[in-house]
Amino acid sequence: MLETRAFEPDYLRKLDRLVLGIKRARSVRTGERRLGRVQGLGLEVENFKEYAEGDDLRFLDWNALARLDHPLIRTFRSERQIEITALVDASASMGMPERDDKLGLGLALAASIAYIGMADNDPVRLGAFSMRRGAMRFETTPFHRRRESYVNFRPFVSSVSAGGETRLGVAIDQFLLQHRPAGVVVVISDFLVAEGDTDDALKRLTSAHHEVKVVHVLGEMESTGAYPPGLYRIRDAESGETREAVLGPEYAAHCRAKVERIASIVRAICDRLGIAYAQAFGARTLDDFMERELPLLGVVR
Amino acid sequence: MGFLDPRNLIWGLSIAVLVIIYLRSHARPLIEVSSLMLFDEQPAPAASVRRVQFDPLFWLEVAALAALTLAIAGFFVRIPEAPAHGRSRALVFDLGAAMGATDGGVSRLDHAKYEALDMISSAAPGDQFSVISYALEAQLVQAPTSDEKELRAAIAGLRPFAVAARPVALRAALMRARAAAEIDLFSDRPPPQPAVANLASAGRFDFHRISGSDANLAIVSLDPGAPGSAWARVSVRNFSEHPATCDVAVDVSGTEVMRRTLVLAPREQATDRFPRLGPLATGGLVRARILNADALAADNTRYALAPASDRVSAIVFSPDPAVRDDLARTLLAVNPNFRIETIDPAKYKADASHASNPYALAIFHDSFVPNVPAQASLLIYPPVGTAASALAPDLKVEATAPAAELRDASGSAATAMPMGETRVLKLGEWMEPTASAVLSGHGRAPAVAFGQSAHGSVGVIAFDIGDHMLLDPDHLNALVATIDLVKRLVAPSDMQIVPTGKYVTIPAASPARVTAPDGAVRSLAPDKWGRITLRPLEAGDYTVAVGGTTTQILANYYDATESDLAATDSAASSSSAERGVAATSVPRENQLQPLVLMLAALALIALVAESALLARHAARWGVRHV
Repeated sequence: MLETRAFEPDYLRKLDRLVLGIKRARSVRTGERRLGRVQGLGLEVENFKEYAEGDDLRFLDWNALARLDHPLIRTFRSERQIEITALVDASASMGMPERDDKLGLGLALAASIAYIGMADNDPVRLGAFSMRRGAMRFETTPFHRRRESYVNFRPFVSSVSAGGETRLGVAIDQFLLQHRPAGVVVVISDFLVAEGDTDDALKRLTSAHHEVKVVHVLGEMESTGAYPPGLYRIRDAESGETREAVLGPEYAAHCRAKVERIASIVRAICDRLGIAYAQAFGARTLDDFMERELPLLGVVR
Repeated sequence: MGFLDPRNLIWGLSIAVLVIIYLRSHARPLIEVSSLMLFDEQPAPAASVRRVQFDPLFWLEVAALAALTLAIAGFFVRIPEAPAHGRSRALVFDLGAAMGATDGGVSRLDHAKYEALDMISSAAPGDQFSVISYALEAQLVQAPTSDEKELRAAIAGLRPFAVAARPVALRAALMRARAAAEIDLFSDRPPPQPAVANLASAGRFDFHRISGSDANLAIVSLDPGAPGSAWARVSVRNFSEHPATCDVAVDVSGTEVMRRTLVLAPREQATDRFPRLGPLATGGLVRARILNADALAADNTRYALAPASDRVSAIVFSPDPAVRDDLARTLLAVNPNFRIETIDPAKYKADASHASNPYALAIFHDSFVPNVPAQASLLIYPPVGTAASALAPDLKVEATAPAAELRDASGSAATAMPMGETRVLKLGEWMEPTASAVLSGHGRAPAVAFGQSAHGSVGVIAFDIGDHMLLDPDHLNALVATIDLVKRLVAPSDMQIVPTGKYVTIPAASPARVTAPDGAVRSLAPDKWGRITLRPLEAGDYTVAVGGTTTQILANYYDATESDLAATDSAASSSSAERGVAATSVPRENQLQPLVLMLAALALIALVAESALLARHAARWGVRHV
């Protein structure tokens, strides 16, 4: 299973010096109670403001009140932090072909990104989604900030299994209903869904001011069409639909073209929405991915 | 076609398993993919309906398995038996009395002979025939031979006997004929089904039914009564399905005492007394005859011996006066003309007057007195260690058993009768046991025996007749055995009346010349005990001449089943008036031909062919071995 690779020490050493590049400002004004936002936890006083109903009395400047007889609230300069969520598609399509271990690759990538995100003590969590028996199964881990707690992701990574339908849009809805502060959302999926579903889901994420990064995962066999030649009955892992097909070199060419077309569509959506897009085609590409594709996601040394 | 063991067809499931393996190996594999989106542009196969491809390896394996399954199940076919040269056939003839029934001068046996001779004449060259006959016993008349002359002579020599054909003899005859490829039975009545079931199912048995006239009158019994005291009676029976008149004539010692015509209803039996005025006045040989011509002549004459009216003397020895009285009563019942002396053996004194005029019968109960002048002697319950060797050589009284069961000559336990104390006898070989007993602690031993030696007739009874056993209705068998033995002992020594088929022994110091009723003459040598043994198989008068002495053997025949000629036709076809040969043969089934070897060979050929194909494929694929 490829996801275990993400917890191997030699692999983590390669990730130690990487930092996730984030475009958005990390500061918020502490003391403001805004729905859906987390107050800053910094200690450096930035300014004062007049007390307004609802302000946290912990930050009332009692000295100024005694001297001026006027309530003032201290405001602080918050520390830099942003929530990072890595969402992995755990639908049945991620489990096929078994030999490709797409789900393992996706989970390894998600864990790697979480590890990198922990470099700046940013709160990081992992999530997995799939539509099981008509209900969206959206599971996430608690936030972890320090790399010492990175191993806490391991039980979750090990427990995720492929099954159900993708339904990317429904999963994003579930995510947005948690009303988390705008942060970084890494979506890892094979994107073998309708073009409109992908566009709609990613658009809603960006609309919620999240910085979205997309990792497009595909297996080596399915991306190259390298099935043994012959007559086959093929069955869709998610819908159960079957059909007969003749596989061989001709199919492989068709398959590569199709994959390229799907990738270009997803890339085009990402470009239009200002989303970083990276490809991870094939389980063997995990190490190559870090060298070639991570910069596309804004990871810098 | 069929199967010897159809249950083994279950092995045919191996073919189904092979087909499943083949279909699975040729089925399009199912693979699960992440999404059919990747196969959108891939066209489906042109032909959606698959055809079973011709795979020689598959069909060869199917053929091998099918052949092996059929072989295990015992697949066979029925093929008509091809006429083959050198085939052996057995001709089995019933020589019972009914086969001698004539119609128009031709007997049923003659019809059977004609048919058998036709079969021999039409047989293929090289076919062998054997001739087997049966009546009382089975006899191989002619060993298997293809010599037509010998066969014709053997068949021509067959003659019916005046005895009933026994089923056990038929079984024995069929046993002797088992080696033949085909058995032909000639009889006037169907054989018992169990006897021929195996032969008929094997398709090697033909039954040739011989039918003929059923008009038969028979003398069932002839009782001479007691001269001067009891009426004589004769019983006749009409076996026909039609009324018949029966002219009966009876003569005593050559003098006709009765001639009467009886009208008998179908299958009626009538009894008439004779002579008209009362019991016979004198004793002697009584002969009854049916004067009408009917189909079966053997049962038209019957002989009986009326006791002599002359006074004959007998002496009874017994220490028990009650036994002496019982024996005297019994003797008077056998012949009222007996003059009987009874005496305690301890008080007996020899009388010189009897030296020239000996007793006709001397009976010794629980005692023995030597040197009693008598023509016949009867030892009843002789004491242990009796010194009767002069009277009965080799007779030994070994012990006394406290209890016994009396059985008749057949030894059947069904007719066993409990008896009291019984002597354990050891007989000389010249004596003939007529009844036996199972003695407690001693097993089976003779109970009643009769023999003739140079000293005259001797009879032995092993059980005790004390306590009025002879008058006890619960011991009737003991009385009957005693009376029969007394009758044999007092019968004239120069005349015996016996049923046909029964062995007769006659004292003979030199070879005897026997003249049969049909005039045939043969010579018999005496055995080491100085007697000849004769078995009359024809009804009528046998004459045995030994030196200057002539003994007359009169054989009576009557058997209710065998004489009933109508019964043979009742089970036959509806044409009761049919004459000649009414051949009813068991339909012959075709021969079973198991195909096990052929099927096994077919399986081997299929496997070898498959191996050759595999080797060829291996060479094409560059594989060094299969």
